[in-house]
Amino acid sequence: MKTPQPPKWARKFLHWFCRGDLADAVLGDLEELYHRSFQTNGKRHADWHFVLGVILFLKPFAFERKSKSTNSNHLIMFKHDFKVAWRNLSKQKLYSSIKIGGFAIGIASCLLITLFIFNELSYDRHFSKDSQVYRVIREASFDGQTSNGAHFPHPFAATLEEEYPEIQMAGRFRFFRFSGAGSEVRRLDKPQSQHEKSLAFVDHTLLQILEAPFIKGNPTNALQEPNSIVITKSKADKYFPDDDPIGQILLLNNDESTPYKITGVIADFPVKSHFRYDFLISLADREFYSGEGVNWRNDNYCTYLLLRPGTDVAAFEQKLSGMIEKYFLPPRLQAGREDDIAWVKSFKTKLQPLSDVYLNIDEVGDGLHHGDIRYIWSFGAINAFILLIACINFINLSTARSADRAKEVGLRKVVGSHRVLLIRQFLLESTLFSFFAFVLGVGIAWLALPYFSQLLGKALIFPWQESWFVLTLLTGTVIIGIIAGLYPAAYLSSFKPVKVLKGEISRGSRNSSIRSGLVILQFAISVVLIIGILIVNKQMNFILDKKLGFDKDRVLVLEGTHTLGNSIQAFKNELLSLSEISSATVSEYLPIEGTRRNNGGWAPEGVQLADGVSGQHWAVDPDYAQTMGMRIVKGRDFSSGIAADSSAVLINESLANSLNFENPVGQTIYNWLGAWTIVGVVEDFHFELMTKEIRPLGMILRPSNRMVSIKINSNNMPETVKAITGIWNTFSPHQPMRYTFLDVSYARMYDDVKRTSNILTVFTILAVLIACLGLFALSSFMSEQRGKEISIRKVLGASLGNIFRLLTLDFLKLVFLALVVGIPIGWFLMNRWLEDFAYRIDTTLEVFAIAGSIALLIALLTVSSESIKAGLINPVKRLKE
Amino acid sequence: MKGTQLGEFEELVLLTVGILHDDAYALTIFDELQQKTNRKMILSSVHKTLVRLEEKGYLQSYMGGATAARGGREKRLYELTQSGIKVLNQTKELRNSMWDNIPKVVWEGRI
Repeated sequence: MKTPQPPKWARKFLHWFCRGDLADAVLGDLEELYHRSFQTNGKRHADWHFVLGVILFLKPFAFERKSKSTNSNHLIMFKHDFKVAWRNLSKQKLYSSIKIGGFAIGIASCLLITLFIFNELSYDRHFSKDSQVYRVIREASFDGQTSNGAHFPHPFAATLEEEYPEIQMAGRFRFFRFSGAGSEVRRLDKPQSQHEKSLAFVDHTLLQILEAPFIKGNPTNALQEPNSIVITKSKADKYFPDDDPIGQILLLNNDESTPYKITGVIADFPVKSHFRYDFLISLADREFYSGEGVNWRNDNYCTYLLLRPGTDVAAFEQKLSGMIEKYFLPPRLQAGREDDIAWVKSFKTKLQPLSDVYLNIDEVGDGLHHGDIRYIWSFGAINAFILLIACINFINLSTARSADRAKEVGLRKVVGSHRVLLIRQFLLESTLFSFFAFVLGVGIAWLALPYFSQLLGKALIFPWQESWFVLTLLTGTVIIGIIAGLYPAAYLSSFKPVKVLKGEISRGSRNSSIRSGLVILQFAISVVLIIGILIVNKQMNFILDKKLGFDKDRVLVLEGTHTLGNSIQAFKNELLSLSEISSATVSEYLPIEGTRRNNGGWAPEGVQLADGVSGQHWAVDPDYAQTMGMRIVKGRDFSSGIAADSSAVLINESLANSLNFENPVGQTIYNWLGAWTIVGVVEDFHFELMTKEIRPLGMILRPSNRMVSIKINSNNMPETVKAITGIWNTFSPHQPMRYTFLDVSYARMYDDVKRTSNILTVFTILAVLIACLGLFALSSFMSEQRGKEISIRKVLGASLGNIFRLLTLDFLKLVFLALVVGIPIGWFLMNRWLEDFAYRIDTTLEVFAIAGSIALLIALLTVSSESIKAGLINPVKRLKE
Repeated sequence: MKGTQLGEFEELVLLTVGILHDDAYALTIFDELQQKTNRKMILSSVHKTLVRLEEKGYLQSYMGGATAARGGREKRLYELTQSGIKVLNQTKELRNSMWDNIPKVVWEGRI
């Protein structure tokens, strides 16, 4: 057996600090102790005591005796460098505060953005068996388009478990409702239902795979029985504040025929987790239609796997594709639909680590809430831009003031300073600046964090207790200090002493070309960002104000109305008796994302449905088009008086076009429900995000009673809502009324875009601010440098206007060049962004003109105060100096 | 005179070096002291005291006696110098004479 060894680093450490004549003996003693304690207490204990022993030797008597004289020079030089740096800092208060302040703002915004990025990247990292847990996804190609899906048939998970010994456990999960709607939940012994959104059907194995910690009940048999349910701690506290939830009964949607028995309570899923449901209903023995358990053609279940330790994942992934041939294909071959067979043949099964689910780089269509990798990229880019601008400021201000330091450098060289020493001095100085900026920046970020979290809609925190965080900050300080100081250091230390002392270095103008280049870069970035926010805002307003084909204003939507049952018509009639209500409609299909959809397809007479037009059918009632303010362009609306309308369909223009009907009214079309006669064509209206085209749609008269939409014609909204509530309570005393407004729900669809635009605006303003700070300092420096020249010009009769022009024109030229560089880049980037939208604004010249004028105006304002000050100065004062 | 006086711990260490004779190095001294005094102490304070006593000239050290358990490192073995022995004696004599000067009545009074 190998003899145990104490930690090597601890030994090295001791050797490093301990005096040579003592080190060996001390180490020997410690090792003897180590072996003793290893035998009695084991390795961990022994290691720990060894390290402790080493640390306890950190006492003056054990240190290397350094004779003071050998090292004092370095020490003194360091102290001296610090002193000079500090003096420089406090001598030029304006420059120093701009340098540090600008840098600090840059660092603060970088820090915030980085926290956001880390937050997005750290989803689903909490599994102990990280490398064994996967979700199964499949890639499929159809018509040359590849897509990824995560849903599989009912029997898929169980079959996998049987066929592959590599699988330790397989578990499924299915949405409660694919529309994302929730349910009314009620305790059996309480009268009131409450609306809950986070319900899901799961296998009991899934909770084990996802390592849901059970507080009550036990993971192996909690969901074994049909109609058993596991709830999270927060919901248990909500529904059973005083009782033990185990064994209690919950009712969903007031359905007393299927009571759900609580068999377990788990801790809430972590915030940074893609799977966060509060009510987990057992899938045991559950079929949603008879025969689902053997149906391989209907994909509704997300399937998760826990592999046995040591499984070769890549090889297993290969083996998995055997399932396609064996189970997916046969039923399709039997049905004999060519396109379906081709589609299934293109299947490729893959294993996706759970940490990839949230960001969804593979663009798996799984209906879950995802982060967006594009945000991370664009925020990262903004991050880099801001830091770049801040660094440029630093470089520009340092080199601009080089003339002030030229004499110092010359003198230092004359008395024997090496270039290396000078570089060290300037790097030290910039690191000191960077340190102050970091301290200030972290402070600003800390103060701004709550607001930023609000802007993002996420709770971010400073990971102070993480050592990497503090360490990153410290290394960041040094690295940024060095990067920002490198060019000034190299430049300043290159001065030739003779020339400098003779005064040949003209005051700060020699490297103006590089400085100008950096100013151009700064402003080009600013211009790109300004163009960005202008276009994002314009597109945003375009979306929110676009003619939608329906009237979203003053429409109140009641949810959960299906519990009214048969009395829903009476309820609707009662509503219509209110004078404030002009019409009402019962339908859960709304032109808002997240409400119910029903895909299928439409075909004209004599055409197979499979070869027809893909499109939706919506179940509505006769008052739908009227309540939604939709326009009938051909034919007529439904009429409740005409009995034949039970087989009538109202189609949108898109469907009419896709079917190529010259005169659609009166034609018969089919969907999988049967044959329908077109009675009218409704003007196209947007029912999906603007990123998508309006697709074919037909509306039929059928009950779909989860929602009732009410068009209100009164301006007194609170009174009307009160009146509606009154009616609701007489019909449904058990359930509080839940309602939204159509325009609010519509705006919510674009929350993400709006959020991006807000964040972009904030950081653009910051970037421009930092750039302006730099420009301001540069201009004030320039007018100071040219003070004598200006005074002479004034003596010779120059007007304030002349001086102003002289000083500002140089800078405006730079900003103008920046526009030339920035506008094409901004144009290119924003066009790429707009390509995502099927309905978008044109990038007109006016946007660029506005962006350009803003940049020029800001630059002019920044520069002008200093120029005017210079122009107003009494020339005598300056010339006398 | 400064430097000739011994602290309590220094005295104990010097005495232990004497007791252990051939095998007096930090760890054995540490063990012996812990056992005799029944006090918890840390190894580095023993080392520290040994270094100081050597600086004062009461101890001298030489290297020797490497073992496998020590990772092949030699021990720093200590022995008393003449002045070390002298200072121990002085301390003892001082104590003794002070003991002698305590009047008998004190002892009897305790009974």
